Amino acid sequence: MTGETNPLGSIHVSPRAIATIAFHAARESYGVVGLANKNLVNGLTQAIAKDPTHGVEVQYDGNRINIDIYIVVEYGTRIKSVASSVSNTVRYHVEKALGLPVNQVNVHVRGLRISEVD
Amino acid sequence: MRADSSVSTRSLAKLKYLPLNGPALKKLVEAGLTWLRTNQQIVNSLNVFPVPDGDTGTNMVLTMQTAYDEIMNSPEYNFGKLAHAVAHGALMGARGNSGVILSQIWRGFARSVGNQEILDAPSLVQALAVARDTAYKGVVRPVEGTILTVTKDIAAAAELALPDYDNPTDILVEVVEAANLSVQRTPDLLPVLKEAGVVDAGGKGLFFILEGMVRYLYGLPLDTALTTVQPLAAMQLENTLESIEPGQDFEVVVDFQPRDTLDLEGFYQNLEAMGTSIQLGEGDGIYRLHIHVPTEKRYDPIDYTMSLGTITKVSIENLIAQMSSIEAAAQGSKMTLAPVEPGQIAAIAVSPGAGISRVFASLGVAAIVEGGQTMNPSTQEILNAFENLTTDRIVILPNNKNIILAANSARELTVKKVAVIPSRSIPQGLAAILRLDPNGDFDKVVADMTRALDEVESGEITTATRSVEIDGVQVKEGQTIALHNGKLLLAAASVEEACMRLLKESHAEHFELITLYGGIDLPRAELNRIADLVRREYPEQDVEVQDGGQPHYQLILSIE
Repeated sequence: MTGETNPLGSIHVSPRAIATIAFHAARESYGVVGLANKNLVNGLTQAIAKDPTHGVEVQYDGNRINIDIYIVVEYGTRIKSVASSVSNTVRYHVEKALGLPVNQVNVHVRGLRISEVD
Repeated sequence: MRADSSVSTRSLAKLKYLPLNGPALKKLVEAGLTWLRTNQQIVNSLNVFPVPDGDTGTNMVLTMQTAYDEIMNSPEYNFGKLAHAVAHGALMGARGNSGVILSQIWRGFARSVGNQEILDAPSLVQALAVARDTAYKGVVRPVEGTILTVTKDIAAAAELALPDYDNPTDILVEVVEAANLSVQRTPDLLPVLKEAGVVDAGGKGLFFILEGMVRYLYGLPLDTALTTVQPLAAMQLENTLESIEPGQDFEVVVDFQPRDTLDLEGFYQNLEAMGTSIQLGEGDGIYRLHIHVPTEKRYDPIDYTMSLGTITKVSIENLIAQMSSIEAAAQGSKMTLAPVEPGQIAAIAVSPGAGISRVFASLGVAAIVEGGQTMNPSTQEILNAFENLTTDRIVILPNNKNIILAANSARELTVKKVAVIPSRSIPQGLAAILRLDPNGDFDKVVADMTRALDEVESGEITTATRSVEIDGVQVKEGQTIALHNGKLLLAAASVEEACMRLLKESHAEHFELITLYGGIDLPRAELNRIADLVRREYPEQDVEVQDGGQPHYQLILSIE
């Protein structure tokens, strides 16, 4: 739980809620064609998931927020640029929504989707 | 007058009917890159959030630069093969979101043209359609009102134009027109743009690339942003002193309202005959002209603009005299930092300006790290500031909420005992430093200093870099805004008004001391005048004035 206390009581934000923000931010990042489950290591990916936290892991140790995000990238884009913009976008949206700094955003490229071959 | 009106079709098309082969593509890519670079700052300034950190223009320029480098020395005559090289270069150089999308556009375009020797009109239309499809395939949930929308609109315009034209360059002209209109429409599709009062930066960048190509075909200049007018708030006149050329002794700034639509090309030509460093800004129909001229021509820009319309304000400054006073100020800024004995607690403060650094130094800070709102120091810079100190007990005052994180990281990278006092503003930092007891118990000193943060009210007064609505406060670009404890409180017409209203809203009458720290942009006389007003309004309170020297913020207030 990510918490804050004010005179009226306390506010808790669950890692799952943070994951939802990260999930949506990642899906709107250019170059990302899907999020993948961490456990399905090889290629098996679900581009469209019902679970709004699919492919995102949030860890909060009472002090720092760490986010791991598992993505599938469009073949033919520059993976490094796509990954770094996912990292920036996710960090920005989470920090904007929570008002708390995010310690780390780790982007794991789980696969590539080949929709067109050059 | 629209600043970015497309190329005039009246101009003579010298190159228009050359076949589009490899060498022609090379020229077009170069032209697109050059024109984008010329207008890079305009694209950068289209930032949604009211902080000056936009870099879309820079990312797109770097992407196009790598694309052009790839073909610069290529003797390839085949259009299609060269297009593949461009796409490859763009892919390798893709920076940022907009750069990646741009590389996808080139990739789709190249795939469609295959290895055609010469590009004809139907192939161009087809290639733009494939470019659009490829661009859209790169994202799960495409957001409209972005560069993607622009690719869609230009592909549609090209298709619509195909029955009327045989020549691909004619279609390109239509495409530029469509890109322009599409960019203007982006705020209607994407609310966040409308709120910030800007068009989409990536779309605008794509427009400049395409417009550069057409400008080249018409033989129009690409290296100077002749026909562009920047938003008033984006004019950066404070940096122009660095670019003084010999003989240009006076800086003339004229605000005027032209009677008729300004003929920008003619206007610039006349001004170029007078001086250098020409900049033109526009906001609500008022134009601001900035120019450096030699002594004997110091009145010429005024006479000239008066012939065009009504002048509302003129300012003439002697650059040479200003330069010498800046140098003198730099020499007078020596300060003495507090010496540290081994075992004592040393304080490190982040400071945005020389004057504030001196105040911190006089209060016992052992090291200063330069930085502030738009120039956050790195973790390494903070580390460097205290690693060499002869003590291992350190407290850090970040004095800005964006720097707290870097300060915390520095704490984790050292063996020294470090505490970060989370000061979010200069007044908080100053309040905390007053509680520093170098020989005290570390935990107690940290607790005392942290508690002091809440004992002071901070006010910051700056100029809005764009129109926006935050926390229910409507702000127009160029307006003076006041922040109270880091939150946007109000917008005002002047620094004076912002200052007085801020003091009223924060109930300064219940406090004891009001300190005003004047920024580098606020003239000393103006600072003193405002201070006198404050003294008159708050006779019960002590009012102190300090020369803060901070950039961007005309005034920082501390109320305690």
